[in-house]
Amino acid sequence: MDVANEMPSFGNDMEIEDYNDEPAYLGPSTRCVLFTLENEVYGIQVQKIREVLRVGTIRQVAGANYGVLGVINVRGVIVTVVDSRVMFNMPTREVDDLSRIIIVELDEERTVGIMVDFVKEVKDIPDDKIESLSGSKENASRYIQGVAHFQDNVIILIDVDNMFMGVE
Amino acid sequence: MDEEILQDFLVEAADLVEQLNEQLADLENSPTDSDLLNAVFRGFHTIKGGAGFLAITPLIEVCHRAENVFDKIRNGDVDYDASAAEVILRAFDVISDILEQLNDGEREFAENDPELLAELDALTGKAQVPVEAPSDETSPTSEPVLTLPEGVDPDGDMSDEEFEALLNQRDGASNTNGPATLTLPEGVDPDGDMSDEEFEALLNQRDGASNASSSVTLTLPEGVDPDGEMSDEEFEALLNQRDTQTSPPKVKKSVEMSSVSTPKPTSTPKPAPQPKAKKIATANKAKPAAKNSTESTVRVDTKRLDDIMNLVGELVLVRNRLLTLKGKNSNREDIANAVANLDHVTTDLQASVLKTRMQPVKKVFGRFPRVVRDLARKLGKDIILELKGEETDLDKNLVEALADPLVHLVRNSVDHGVEMPDVRVAAGKPKTGTVVLAAQQEGDHILLSITDDGKGMDPDVLRQKAVEKGMMDEQMASQLDDKSAFELILSAGFSTADQVSDISGRGVGMDVVKNMITKLNGSIDIHSVLGEGTKISIRVPLTLAILPTLMVGFNEDSYAIPLTSVQEIFDFNPEKTNKIDGQMMVRLREESIPLYFLNEWLAADKPKDNYRGDKVVIVSVGNQRAGLVVSQVNGQEEVVIKPLGVMLKSALGYAGATITGNGSIALILDLQGVVKRFQ
Repeated sequence: MDVANEMPSFGNDMEIEDYNDEPAYLGPSTRCVLFTLENEVYGIQVQKIREVLRVGTIRQVAGANYGVLGVINVRGVIVTVVDSRVMFNMPTREVDDLSRIIIVELDEERTVGIMVDFVKEVKDIPDDKIESLSGSKENASRYIQGVAHFQDNVIILIDVDNMFMGVE
Repeated sequence: MDEEILQDFLVEAADLVEQLNEQLADLENSPTDSDLLNAVFRGFHTIKGGAGFLAITPLIEVCHRAENVFDKIRNGDVDYDASAAEVILRAFDVISDILEQLNDGEREFAENDPELLAELDALTGKAQVPVEAPSDETSPTSEPVLTLPEGVDPDGDMSDEEFEALLNQRDGASNTNGPATLTLPEGVDPDGDMSDEEFEALLNQRDGASNASSSVTLTLPEGVDPDGEMSDEEFEALLNQRDTQTSPPKVKKSVEMSSVSTPKPTSTPKPAPQPKAKKIATANKAKPAAKNSTESTVRVDTKRLDDIMNLVGELVLVRNRLLTLKGKNSNREDIANAVANLDHVTTDLQASVLKTRMQPVKKVFGRFPRVVRDLARKLGKDIILELKGEETDLDKNLVEALADPLVHLVRNSVDHGVEMPDVRVAAGKPKTGTVVLAAQQEGDHILLSITDDGKGMDPDVLRQKAVEKGMMDEQMASQLDDKSAFELILSAGFSTADQVSDISGRGVGMDVVKNMITKLNGSIDIHSVLGEGTKISIRVPLTLAILPTLMVGFNEDSYAIPLTSVQEIFDFNPEKTNKIDGQMMVRLREESIPLYFLNEWLAADKPKDNYRGDKVVIVSVGNQRAGLVVSQVNGQEEVVIKPLGVMLKSALGYAGATITGNGSIALILDLQGVVKRFQ
């Protein structure tokens, strides 16, 4: 699905900040959905994201890997939900009103939901602000594509393909 | 070569090659894993089967030998060591190369590297007689039988009748004593009294017979040349017939070989057959052989699409109605009407969409007349195939999934079931055997049956075989009733054929068939009467997408058990259970059945110490039975199977998930996985 020019649909009454508050930047940029975990800001490329959902009923699956919260029904498709906190080796926490599930399309066949604490906004990040981190590929950091210093924020960009590489 | 069937084969072979690639790699690490060895063996066997049907000789040769090697390895006669692996992998590369070429539209293949074949043979320990080796002139008895289908394929110039006549003659010739038939024509030649027709008939016979031994193919035509009574046209026709009869890829070699040993004809009116054969070959190549893209399309009647379009239109209308109702404070009746309408439209829409996936079973049946004809000729049998219920519709996936099992079963009927014509006559049966392939819809199932009027199966022979194969002791075997004895043929490694051929008799076919049918939630039933014939019935659900299930649960969590596996349900009674060797068993009519407490796995965080009031669901898993203890039984529900998502595909014990009537998710249990989890 081509969503490059679409805004992902947020859970109903989600407020989205105006992302055009910077002086116009004309170079290449990457549009990302930003979310927070433990006060850090993370970003996922918008092309990869189908939608952002409020947390409904998650059906637990006994015997699933640690970190798999269960499955949800997204309009007739069963989607696995993983806890981003477990992926990044953080302590888990209870779901609250701000928790969201980001539905990521890995490829035509595979869709996965990532549970995050809070979805902040959608932003265009200029490519020249992104520092690649491809050098280190250890543990959790192999999920990290790069770090962007942008508008007083440090944004950790996640490579979802890498995150779920080799996962069936 | 039938393009449609070829494409089907390529799709299937591509999967197999991919699997083999992995399996062979795994095998290097665990060279004695019998499951893996069996899987590899089956892979080569299945590719060989398809290649045999399409007469791709080099592919058959390599696969057959590789299969032989793995037969030895899995029996423990040969070790899969590094040198064996090297040869096998080379063979595997040859197979993938050929398949790739086929995929690119190439239809003619060079002879296999004899060194590789010899090395493969060497691996099996002895230089065995290659069953279908075309250039092997030392085995005239087996050769004519197996080279026939190759002769059949390239026929382009002849009318069907002519061709049939030739085939008949050749079949006849190859069944009788080869040399005797071949010397006869030479004796006849000098005879001046023959009419043209007689002479022609003899020539035809000889051409046919010449297939029995390739060395004769070229010496005989020389005898024809000096004959002045034939017109050029007649001669040309004869040459053509011979050319078309001999298959381009492999006879080319025998032509070269024999042309060295025989003196060149002094006055040949027409060029030697070789260039002609080449011409045919290039003509075949030029045929449009579009590059294969894996077939994942379905042909749908435009009428059906129109229906769907119409229903979607209705659906939009209902939505609009509901949207307007949402705005104002409407009365209950309006909403109820709209919802009833919605119910109607969606039900119809679902049925229409399901119909687009339905295909007539004819798509599978279509290939069988050819299979039976070729095989019957190969074996010298006289068999009629009757097709019934070809127009029965079933799910596209099922149509594809059923093709292979049915080929196996039909081949078995022709090969093992129907007797040779003389045996049939002696037994007081009509000379021509009949195989009936039938399909019919039975409620929400399709019943497919393969019936032959052959020799049937002898349950005593099967019992004895089971003992010989070490599958059970004599006492156990003698206790089997006839039906269970027949079902023995479905077990892995059980083959009663003493002669291994490329047709059947390896004992791989039937257990593969069984596995495939079980995967489709179907069942196999075998009925056989000694001397009268065998009937094998397969029952499969109409569609793979919808599964009748029994819903069970623990508190609010519900699980679906495929209904076909459920045998009975009763209340859990602690007095009727006992612990044997650490395993809880329940007594049911003189039988002890293992009990598995599903909550130990599915609700491990809420341990229970009292199972009073729980239910036991007795299910059949493969050939065993098991009792599953559940908190509630919620009744039957037809569910739409949906695959579990990422990271859960490998979770043992689940076949998928579904969405229940109240919108929540229920997990569908895979009983084999469940039992494994508890063992």
